[in-house]
Amino acid sequence: MGSRLNVELFGRSFKNPVWPASGCFGYGREFAGHLDLSQIGAICVKGTSPEPWLGNSGTRVVETPGGMLNAIGLQNPGIDHFLHVDWPWLQSVGATVIVNIVGRTVEEYVEVARRLEGSGVAAVELNISCPNVKEGGLAFGTSVKGASEVTAAVRQATSLPLIVKLSPNVTNIVDMALAVESAGADAVSVINTLLGMSIDIRKRRPVLGNLFGGLSGPGIKPVALRMVWQVAGAVKIPVIGIGGIMTGEDAVEFLMAGASAVQVGTACFVNPRAPLTIAEEIEAFMEANGYGRVGELVGAARPTAGAEGNLPKLGEAVPLPVAKPPIKKATGETADALRQFLKDSDRA
Amino acid sequence: MSGLRDSRVKAAWVQEMAQVITHEGDGEVYKLTLRAPEIARRAVAGQFVEVRPVPGHQAPVDPLLRRPFSLCEIRPEAGEISLIYRVVGRGTRALAALGAGVELDLLGPLGHSFPVPSAGNGRLVLVGGGLGIPPMAAAARWAVSAGRETAAILGARSQRYLAGAAEVAETGVPVTTMTDDGSAGAQGFVTEPLEAMLADGAVGEVWACGPEAMLQAVKVRCASVGVPCFVSVERHMACGFGACIGCTVPKAGAPGFLKTCQDGPVFAAEEVELGGF
Repeated sequence: MGSRLNVELFGRSFKNPVWPASGCFGYGREFAGHLDLSQIGAICVKGTSPEPWLGNSGTRVVETPGGMLNAIGLQNPGIDHFLHVDWPWLQSVGATVIVNIVGRTVEEYVEVARRLEGSGVAAVELNISCPNVKEGGLAFGTSVKGASEVTAAVRQATSLPLIVKLSPNVTNIVDMALAVESAGADAVSVINTLLGMSIDIRKRRPVLGNLFGGLSGPGIKPVALRMVWQVAGAVKIPVIGIGGIMTGEDAVEFLMAGASAVQVGTACFVNPRAPLTIAEEIEAFMEANGYGRVGELVGAARPTAGAEGNLPKLGEAVPLPVAKPPIKKATGETADALRQFLKDSDRA
Repeated sequence: MSGLRDSRVKAAWVQEMAQVITHEGDGEVYKLTLRAPEIARRAVAGQFVEVRPVPGHQAPVDPLLRRPFSLCEIRPEAGEISLIYRVVGRGTRALAALGAGVELDLLGPLGHSFPVPSAGNGRLVLVGGGLGIPPMAAAARWAVSAGRETAAILGARSQRYLAGAAEVAETGVPVTTMTDDGSAGAQGFVTEPLEAMLADGAVGEVWACGPEAMLQAVKVRCASVGVPCFVSVERHMACGFGACIGCTVPKAGAPGFLKTCQDGPVFAAEEVELGGF
C-alpha cells in the first residue's frame, strides 16, 4: 500500500483511511496472523467500560436481507484489562489504536478517558449511540443535551483527540453533530447501527434475546451515506463515514460524500482481511482515475462553492417535488400521520 | 477431566478457496464434499468451517454472512472434507443451488475439537441427534484410528433425517439407531440406549452433538454416573473466529458467557448452561 492513502485527521497522520469499526474487530487478536495489524490505518477496538460488562443473554446475532442485527450488549473486559493486556500486545504488533468508550453515566465515560490519558492511543471514540444496552449509551446519543454533556465532560478530562460516534436513531443527526462539535469533539463518526428487530415465526418470538438490535451491513449503506453527506455539510470537524462498506468503491462513495476516513465493521466478519483489501481497492480506484491523494476524493461529489446552481445548500437533503397529497381521502390518525410526515419531509 | 478438556485441539485457521467435488441432496438435506487440502490437513473432529454460501468470486451482499458447518469427514490424504446440512433459510438455500466445480470461500478449521481420543480409557459413546449426526462420523474415524473402543447412538425424527449415519457406520463402530417414529432402528430417544450403556459401567467418555434439549439430557445422565461428557453446541454466528461475540453460551455456575466459536463448539458439558436454545 502506498503513501497516497495517507490521511491526516486531528493533527495526526494515518497510513490509510480504512479503519475497522468498534465491536467488529475485538482488540485485534482474532485477526493476527490473517493480516498485518500494523498496516491498518487505525483499529477502533471494542467499546470499553470502566468495569467488565457481561453482555446480553439469548441470541445475539441474526442475518437480515443484505445485513445483520446484533445485540451483543457491549460485552467487554473493562479498561484495566485493556491497559494491562490488550494495549501492550497491540503496541507490540505496531498497531495504531482508537479506543471506543462506553458508559452508563457521564462519570464512567470520563473515567475511561482519564485512564487512557498518556497511554499513547491515537484517539478516543465515544459510543453515545449503541442501541443495545437498556442502561447504556442510548440516552446520551438521542438528545442534544445528553450528547453535549458527555462530550464536554470527556473533553475536559482528556487531551487525546476526541471522536463522537453518532446514532442514526434520532430525528435530526445534523443537530447532534453540531452539538458535539460545539461541545469540543475533534471528529464525528457517522453512523452507528440502526435499531431493528427480527421475529422467529415458528417459535413466535423475537429472535434476539434483547428484542431489538443494531442493523448493519450493505443494506444500510444508502442511509449512512445520506447522513454523512448531511453532517459533512454542516460541521467543520472531520467526519468518519461508517455503514455497510464492503468494497473500495463503497468507501469512495463515503469519501466523496465528505468523509475524511471510513470505518468498516460487518465486512470484517465476512472477510477478516477486509480493512486492507478495501484500502487496496481505494488505491486501485485512485490509480485508475488519476487521484494523487485521498484528500482529492473527500467531498468530491459535493458541489463546489459558487457552482451550486439549483442544488440544495450543503448539508440539506434535496427537497422532494411532493405532489399534492391526497389528504382529503385520509381521515383521523392516517391524516395526522400524513401531515406529520409531510412536515418532517419539509424540514429534512 | 480438565486433562481431557485441555486436550481438545484448536488449530490455526486459514482462508481457503475450496472446489465443490460433489454436492448431493434431496431438496432438504445435502452432502457437500469439497477439495480443501489445507483445512483437511489441519482439522480434527468437532471443529467447523465457515462457508460463504455463494460462489467465492461474488462480493458479499446477500446472503451476507458465512454459515458455520461441522465437518462430517476429514480426509487429509485426499485433501478433502465433507459436510452435511439441511436447508433452513436463505443461506443454505443459496448454497444448495451450487454444483460441482464451483469454488467456495472457506475459513477453517475453527474452534475446539473433541478431546484427543486414546485407547484404554473405557468405551467412548458417541451420541448424535439429527444434524448432530454428521460430525460423529469424523469423531468415530478419529477414535477408531486411535484404537479407542467406540460405539455410536444416532437418533432422528425419522429415517429421512438420519443423514450422516451411513458415514458413521462406514468407520466400523457399532451403531444403535433410534427414531421418533420407528421408521429406522428402534422407536424412542437416544437417551434410552445411552442409559443402558452407562449402567453397565464400561463407558469412559461420552461425546454428543444435536438439539440442545438432547445435549442437556445426555449431560444429566452422564453427570449422574460421573462419566465425562463433551457436547458440541450450535449458535448463530456472524464471524466464527471470535470477533463478533455473537455466539455465546452461558457459563455454568458463574456469571458470564463463553464463545461457541472459540471456546467451543465442543465444551466439557459441566462448563456450560444448556437448554436456552
